[in-house]
Amino acid sequence: MDEEPERAKRWEGGYERTWEILKEDESGSLKATVEEILFQAKRKRVFESHGQVRLGMMRHLYVVIDTSRTMEDQDLKPNRLTSTLKLVEYFVEEYFDQNPISQVGIITTKNKRAEKLTDLAGNPKKHIDALKKAKDSTCGGEPSLYNSLSLAMQTLKHMPGHSSREVLIIFSSLTTCDPANIYELVKTLKALKIRVSVIGLSAEVRVCTVLTRETGGSYHVILDESHFRELLMFHVKPPPATSSSECSLIRMGFPQHTIASISDQDAKPSFSQAHLDSTSGGPGLSMGGYFCPQCQAKYTELPVECKVCGLTLVSAPHLARSFHHLFPLEAFQESPLLLHHTERFCEACQGELKDKSVFTCPSCNSVFCVECDLFIHDTLHCCPSCIHSRSAP
Amino acid sequence: MASEDEVSLLVIVVDVNPIWWGQQANREPQFTLSKCLDAVMVMGNSHLVMTRTNKLAIIASHCQESHFLYPCKLWKSGDGHGDENASTSGDGKYELLSVANDFIAEEIKNLMSRSKSEVKGNQTDTLLAGSLAKALCCILSTKMLTGQEMKSRILVVKAAEDCALQYMNFMNVIFAAQKQSILIDACVLDSDSGLLQQACDITGGLYLKIPQKIALAQYLLWVFLPDSDQRSQLVLPPPVHVDYRAACFCHRNLIEIGYVCSVCLSIFCNFSPICTTCETAFKIPLPQVVKSKKKKLKPST
Repeated sequence: MDEEPERAKRWEGGYERTWEILKEDESGSLKATVEEILFQAKRKRVFESHGQVRLGMMRHLYVVIDTSRTMEDQDLKPNRLTSTLKLVEYFVEEYFDQNPISQVGIITTKNKRAEKLTDLAGNPKKHIDALKKAKDSTCGGEPSLYNSLSLAMQTLKHMPGHSSREVLIIFSSLTTCDPANIYELVKTLKALKIRVSVIGLSAEVRVCTVLTRETGGSYHVILDESHFRELLMFHVKPPPATSSSECSLIRMGFPQHTIASISDQDAKPSFSQAHLDSTSGGPGLSMGGYFCPQCQAKYTELPVECKVCGLTLVSAPHLARSFHHLFPLEAFQESPLLLHHTERFCEACQGELKDKSVFTCPSCNSVFCVECDLFIHDTLHCCPSCIHSRSAP
Repeated sequence: MASEDEVSLLVIVVDVNPIWWGQQANREPQFTLSKCLDAVMVMGNSHLVMTRTNKLAIIASHCQESHFLYPCKLWKSGDGHGDENASTSGDGKYELLSVANDFIAEEIKNLMSRSKSEVKGNQTDTLLAGSLAKALCCILSTKMLTGQEMKSRILVVKAAEDCALQYMNFMNVIFAAQKQSILIDACVLDSDSGLLQQACDITGGLYLKIPQKIALAQYLLWVFLPDSDQRSQLVLPPPVHVDYRAACFCHRNLIEIGYVCSVCLSIFCNFSPICTTCETAFKIPLPQVVKSKKKKLKPST
């Protein structure tokens, strides 16, 4: 706290003590250390593949955000609440990108009560709008773990057995105010197979440790904002399914997208079922859309659960998005550049190999540079050379 | 109008499947692979001439490999065996364009002659997914090198039919392109391609099946040359109706309502107790058994 008067502006505080990790080499140049740091940052994401483990692909996740008094603390810039909301927005987008047939709901807790910000839904827009509006809300009082968990449980216990029920709590306070014995609630959660994970913003709290250990979730406390982001991203990937989750055949509909224009004879404008309840005042009438194959109700976006007949409507690319979790790409082997005299160009981007190490695919032995390797594992999920060998997935 | 510093990269993926083009030479002798490549070169030249900072890459998609026709690896590394030939262009054309055209012609001749003896009977499908993956990596590395804002798009000139085996790799490539905001346009010469229709729909590009192959250059310049900002101002071919229905794994029929396995996400048209892909036994929902209440016997009076 002595350094505070020395800092001219608040935001400069984020850069304190970064000089400690830089070391000079013999000639006094920092270049080697800086390159090393950049290289490590690129490779930081460790791809731990679960191997042949069944994954919970259809997920129902509740995110509980603590909006108590401690969230006004400014150790995350500009304050904990704004930083958390921004990261949760990013998390929601990534979550729907990786798990297109899953659902998310948001709960906030303050003043010893818990309330639902958004219901469980499969459409990211609603959640992101609600999170943006929540930035203006005030923080106060104490959070209540019991109330937020029981609120989440009320909806999750009705979810079908084949889906994975999860709760992710972002907990910043060190106290909680509960109306009843929380350890009883933990037993109920365990019986209902709800997995609770906690990300702590302040310090480790014993009740959270017990909660996560009993229900099979994970508990981490953040170091700084980038660590917070990493911990959130850890929850984007589908978790291994518990042994007690049921496997069933889910009935789904694959509606056709009709693009009708005014010049068509039969085209009639109609309302979308999803917009009937909305108060956002968007254009209600539209010409084309997706029609449920069972009851012909119209929707403008997929995936959605039909309000009339209850059939889940998805499109084939949504299911295809999740396939890379089921057939994960192996990590490439890292080897120093000096061993590879013959190849001077990366197989994928045709650029020269300049970094100090190159990556080799174990099945086709092609050589890739660092950026291509990161891109292949993060976004592409298939080796560009292996797919030239025409083997069916 | 694009700002002066904005770099726009166009990657053209040309399908040079030798089997299809060989049959095409018998069907329509006036439109052969060389005519097609002429049209592609015109398109590439026009793109380079539109703005000084535009970049171009051309990939030939063969049934055994994907080869970069332009830019050339040897050129980049400065070995420069082409430097002597490229000093003057005979007809006063902008040197960059004439050098590019010569390289493309040279490379395609090498590619086709190199693989003449090796095409086997079962390998007749174009490796389009692999070429698109290489195109994406090339775009990414160019983005890293220039460091500026870059808008990129991929134009696929497709000749042969789709290969169903590539479905999953194709979808991975399409989602990767969508994430990087890269448009995929498709110019189809012969038969409609469901995969490319989905690619164009998901990434926001244009799909066009050309009615007359001889006029390929005209279609390329009219429809595919303007970039995404300018397309909203032009009257372009309307979007096609994309069939997003899934194909069931057992019969490969397109279905509207199906059953999806919760473990491996395979799609079936009929209910079956075991999933054929992951061999999970499903829990069959049994009808609820209603317990009959035991009637209390009235004490007989």
